[in-house]
Amino acid sequence: MEALEARGLSKTFDQRGHIVRALDDFNLIIHEGQLFSVLGRNGAGKTTFLKIASTLLLPTSGTLSLFGHDAISAPKEVRALIAMVPQEGKLFYHITPRELVREYLRIRGASRETAVCRTDEVLEAMGLTAYGNTVAFQLSGGLRQRALVAMILATRAPFLFLDEPTLGMDPFARRQVWEVIRNVARQGSTVLFTTHYLDEAEELSDELAVIERGRLMFRGSSETLRATVGREVRLQFSTGFKPEELSAYGKVYTGRNHLTLLTSRSSVRELTELALTRGIEMTVGPVTLEEAFLELVGKRIEEE
Amino acid sequence: MTIRSQSNAALRICFINGVLPLWRSPLLIAAQFLTPFSFLFFLFVIAPRSLFPFGVMGGLLFTALFAGSSMLTDCAYLRLERQFQQVFVASPVRPIAYIMGMALSELAFTAPAATVFFVILLVVVPVGLVGLVALIGIFLLTWLMATTLGFFVSTLFIQLRESWPIATLIFSLLSVIPPVFYPATEIPQNWQWVALLAPSTFSAQLADRAAGLGGTLTTGSLILNAPAFDVAMLVGITLLFGTAALFLSRWREP
Repeated sequence: MEALEARGLSKTFDQRGHIVRALDDFNLIIHEGQLFSVLGRNGAGKTTFLKIASTLLLPTSGTLSLFGHDAISAPKEVRALIAMVPQEGKLFYHITPRELVREYLRIRGASRETAVCRTDEVLEAMGLTAYGNTVAFQLSGGLRQRALVAMILATRAPFLFLDEPTLGMDPFARRQVWEVIRNVARQGSTVLFTTHYLDEAEELSDELAVIERGRLMFRGSSETLRATVGREVRLQFSTGFKPEELSAYGKVYTGRNHLTLLTSRSSVRELTELALTRGIEMTVGPVTLEEAFLELVGKRIEEE
Repeated sequence: MTIRSQSNAALRICFINGVLPLWRSPLLIAAQFLTPFSFLFFLFVIAPRSLFPFGVMGGLLFTALFAGSSMLTDCAYLRLERQFQQVFVASPVRPIAYIMGMALSELAFTAPAATVFFVILLVVVPVGLVGLVALIGIFLLTWLMATTLGFFVSTLFIQLRESWPIATLIFSLLSVIPPVFYPATEIPQNWQWVALLAPSTFSAQLADRAAGLGGTLTTGSLILNAPAFDVAMLVGITLLFGTAALFLSRWREP
């Protein structure tokens, strides 16, 4: 079943006479139970799409439905089925993570027993038990963000919107959150999230979409996105090569102490021998999702 | 969600936004006392003692009106800076539950100062039980009028900084300039109609009557001077602002 269906979605903002097109004829279908990520540069339209889908914002034109309910004309029906972590959302100052999660569940109509039980569970799963009774203003930014995400995930709403959920979290915390998100999805929730961490998108998503300038550029799995680059291997060289020597083999990125080359499998042997001859250290691996994303979006920027 | 669950949601929003902050930072109460008591002190020093009861009544109504100012800035802050209103929009919580929850939390902040003003009033003016009940009703209507106005206006801002001066402007116009802290008869009779432009005038007129203070408008019109007119206006304006808050405010951004 389709959990979300957006058709011809457009949104323009009038910024003091200057019309900004945040979404432009955007189409997307997300199936029930999917873990779906939306990627894009800053200002590409990710948050605008999430806001429209979560009934926070009206589109200029187009249609959007969640589980068959029209999110534009019948938001009440949709709101009963959703929960959202807003981008850069912040907690109330005087509340503890335990109170926050429990009270939010109670506000949404959960029974006392359910609220208490789920609060304990989510705090434990998110590594927040030790901070459960600490007032928010005494918590670090990452812990506050974790509490906010815990509050939304604890709802186990049929459709969860997470706008950059792991922003500001350390790598350990991010992995804990990923695990909780996976669990929630296993229990039947559909999850739509945005992120700038491409490893996160790869780890979590069943499918992903790339938005650029309000338009859908790509939709599919991370493997498919990597395949679109056309260069499947990633070679990293320590100092020794000049970028222009490698550019004939593929796309070259210059790092502080290294060069990265995205190239085809057929070039690996030749380049390995060349590196060995010159005594240059080299690593070989698959193209990362981040590189595929840079290639895809970069190409579009160059074209325009 | 049913009416019962929406009421429960409102009470819990009041708990997290009003009761918990007061419990954990009691100093927050001081801010609620500061302005009305400063006005009262000022009146006590410079005005004749006969006007002191009007100052106490003004302080009482000011606390109800100030709840509206706090509602405006708090709601704008939670929506624009903390992105927290969005958490309630994208949920089964209805606007009425959120508005009432926020308004009740402002009432929680206001309650200590209002209680002190009620006590002072009972000491300086012999208000009977009926008068006291009427005063509590007028206070609550004024609070509801101010907070619904505050919520409606809060949803119009796209920048937080704009909300602070506008809140000060609106609620100064409602609480300081109209005859809230002073008797309406202090305004020259030809200009008393101007006072009718401020909704808080009706609260003050009714409250002064309920406490038997006198000093109400003498515009020359029997209708305009009638208590029923003040009741109708206060209830009507509260309904108007309530309707604006529920149906015209930007619960979902346009």
